[in-house]
Amino acid sequence: MLTLKDFQREEQPNWCPTCGNFGIILSVKKALMELNVPQEETVLVSGVGCFAKLPYWIKAYGFVGLHGRSLPVAQGVKLANSKLKVIAFGGDGDGYGEGGNHFIHACRRNVNIAYFVHNNGVFGLTTGQYSPTSKKGTKSKSSPSGSEEMPVNPLALAIASGAKFVARAYSGDPKGLVEIMKKAIEYEGFAFVDIMQSCITFGKEHDYFKDKIYHLDDSYDASDKVKAMGKALDYEETERFALGIIYQEL
Amino acid sequence: MKKDLVVRIGGEAGLGLAAAADILAKVFVRLGYHIYSSKEYASQIKGGHNYHTLRITNSNVSADVNDVEVLFAFSKDTIAKHYEFMKKKGIIFVDDSFNVNEEDNKNLVLIKIPVKKLEQELQEKGIVNALFLGAFVKYFGIKSSILEEVIKEFFKEKAGQGERNSKAAREAEKLVERVEEIEAHNNKFDFLSGNDAVTLGALDAGLKFHVQYPMTPVSAILHNLAKEAEKNKELKVMQVEDEIAVINMAIGASYAGARAMCASSGGGFALMIEAMGLASMAEVPLVVVEGQRPGPSTGLPTKTEQGDLKFVLYSGTGDFPHVVLAPANIEECYTETKRAFYLAEKYQLPVLVLIDKQLAESFKTLSFHDESRKLSIDFSKKYGVKIKLEDKDLRNGLFKRYQVENDGVYERTLPGTENGFYTCAGDEHDEVGEIIEEQEIRIKMMKRRMNKLDYIAKELPLQEIYGEKNAEITVVGWGSTSGAIIEAVERLQKQGKSINAFIVKYMRPFMSEEVGNVLGKAKKLILVENNYSAQLGGLIQEKTMIRFEETILRYDGKNFSVDELYEELKKKC
Repeated sequence: MLTLKDFQREEQPNWCPTCGNFGIILSVKKALMELNVPQEETVLVSGVGCFAKLPYWIKAYGFVGLHGRSLPVAQGVKLANSKLKVIAFGGDGDGYGEGGNHFIHACRRNVNIAYFVHNNGVFGLTTGQYSPTSKKGTKSKSSPSGSEEMPVNPLALAIASGAKFVARAYSGDPKGLVEIMKKAIEYEGFAFVDIMQSCITFGKEHDYFKDKIYHLDDSYDASDKVKAMGKALDYEETERFALGIIYQEL
Repeated sequence: MKKDLVVRIGGEAGLGLAAAADILAKVFVRLGYHIYSSKEYASQIKGGHNYHTLRITNSNVSADVNDVEVLFAFSKDTIAKHYEFMKKKGIIFVDDSFNVNEEDNKNLVLIKIPVKKLEQELQEKGIVNALFLGAFVKYFGIKSSILEEVIKEFFKEKAGQGERNSKAAREAEKLVERVEEIEAHNNKFDFLSGNDAVTLGALDAGLKFHVQYPMTPVSAILHNLAKEAEKNKELKVMQVEDEIAVINMAIGASYAGARAMCASSGGGFALMIEAMGLASMAEVPLVVVEGQRPGPSTGLPTKTEQGDLKFVLYSGTGDFPHVVLAPANIEECYTETKRAFYLAEKYQLPVLVLIDKQLAESFKTLSFHDESRKLSIDFSKKYGVKIKLEDKDLRNGLFKRYQVENDGVYERTLPGTENGFYTCAGDEHDEVGEIIEEQEIRIKMMKRRMNKLDYIAKELPLQEIYGEKNAEITVVGWGSTSGAIIEAVERLQKQGKSINAFIVKYMRPFMSEEVGNVLGKAKKLILVENNYSAQLGGLIQEKTMIRFEETILRYDGKNFSVDELYEELKKKC
């Protein structure tokens, strides 16, 4: 059986102390450990951004490519060798901005990979500009009077683009995050998880999410696509974020 | 047949010109003739004016000539458009309802086919190409059984359509007198386009993963491979959202161990540039085919040009190694594609095969079996793939995949290999792929990568000189213009001129010493290119300090014919 220590590499993560990425990297390790996926059959693919350094700090096969391009690389890996467990990582700038087109088409193509997006609503590595998921009116270095664009709704976009596994998780909810990651990794097809995350330096504080998140309970029917679309959209009104599998085709 | 027979098939798109050209070419393939066939077309699916030109000869050629002996006029304006290219006593097959006037076409033979009448009699539509073909084979004394076999093969599963076309051809034969007698030769040729040759080269090199977004002039590579993948389950062929996804997906597949290729034209390649740097930095083998067409922007999408040489050589951020091979004819589209796979895998870098519309979409006869033996590389083994790791290969449990001391041997592990972990990184990295910023490691890694070009240069064969080595005049060119250059120079040689031709094929690594030596022998140099700014000339000047005083440049979207180039060269000799 694998232990967390098996994933250890010589270098330690250099994210800002208490960054949400620590919760995410630990959850990735735990999910892989609990699923007992052989390390040599695990391929972690990322792009560019704070989140994108994750493969440097997990002992498995890693590929750190270009900004916004983790999805095409990850799909290429999986299509070339179906035995591998492939996880692609994105950020809100990387995955919903630069790589937005790849996201739509990965949803349609349904290659058997998992896609985890670290969504903190801000550009961290370029020191704090607003991002594609920033709320309209967000003031930042590049939007001193407030941003003018509507934010991307990643879950609704995924469902509309034909994704069959669409989930939301939160970096501050490690237990729930590990469970969703495990389901996504095990899912036979393209499994997308939007992971809400704080950015303690440039974005939302950890407490921001405290009163706004809730877990979907058993009464929620994730197979109803129309309802799922409603659930994906409702935070725009309610500012409350449902965590769990929002949509999964039966 | 003593001389070339040039047949041109012209008219609106959608009337069956391409079918007529293909069938006629295959008739002559069966008769054992060499053929060079090119097409000129507009960027529209119906209408416009397109034409195909078949040059039927007794020798292996790779260029168009001017004098047209036979014209199939699918529309009335076809005659006016091509009148100036017609040979004296040239023959025009034409629909009699066009009411073409003999007075306007003196010195030409008009063979008027009552298309409307025959369509009514046979209760058929859209058989004008079959009627022209039937009349043609009768006129030239070719057995009608050969035409029928080719038609049958052309329509394959649509047997009924094949039969109807054959019947129409037979009716047309009755209307025409036999005038010529074309004898058969004992040659057995294949008939391939440049796109076909690239496809076959890739397949013979063990291609496992192809990804492309359609773009003229290389869409046929995608079509060929998609068809191949239906029966070859080891081959994966993808059409994806854009060229950025194309190249990144190919890189992912190659990283995971599949021999991978992608293809596009200049506009699509522009989107691939950032990832060319990634493949080179992360040291992932990759073959990219770039089929040039005239730019900038959308440019002339269906025409030809050699305007992307400097673009593919210098595009990218920072200094990184990549290879640029420029096949000079359809045979070399095959051999250089194979070479590309070998170099990409052995040296773990992107290799570009630079062709253009004229190479990609023209067809010629060749003995493919002979070509396939020319470049013998064992593709059953994978170069540089490590399967078993020993302690000396590892640092703290990670594979020293980017080792600095390597003597030209570049090794990698594929995901799935036990203990072979490393990070395949687009960031600057150390020997295990750890992200770094230390200056001394950066320097070592730059050298590790850039050294590849020196190792590759040692593996490349000499480039060809056509004619006497010490000729007074050397004509220099590359790619698709080579066919016309070589023939035009041969004509001048026959007139006693001291002239040769030198074709540059390896653009990166550039063989500065070899090129410098060859060009240094000539008293006069003439550069021929299908572009505005003499891009090869610039490259040669950069690498050898040799400057071209005389240039013949063409950038109107057309290739040089042998005759046009001969006239231009004659003025400069």
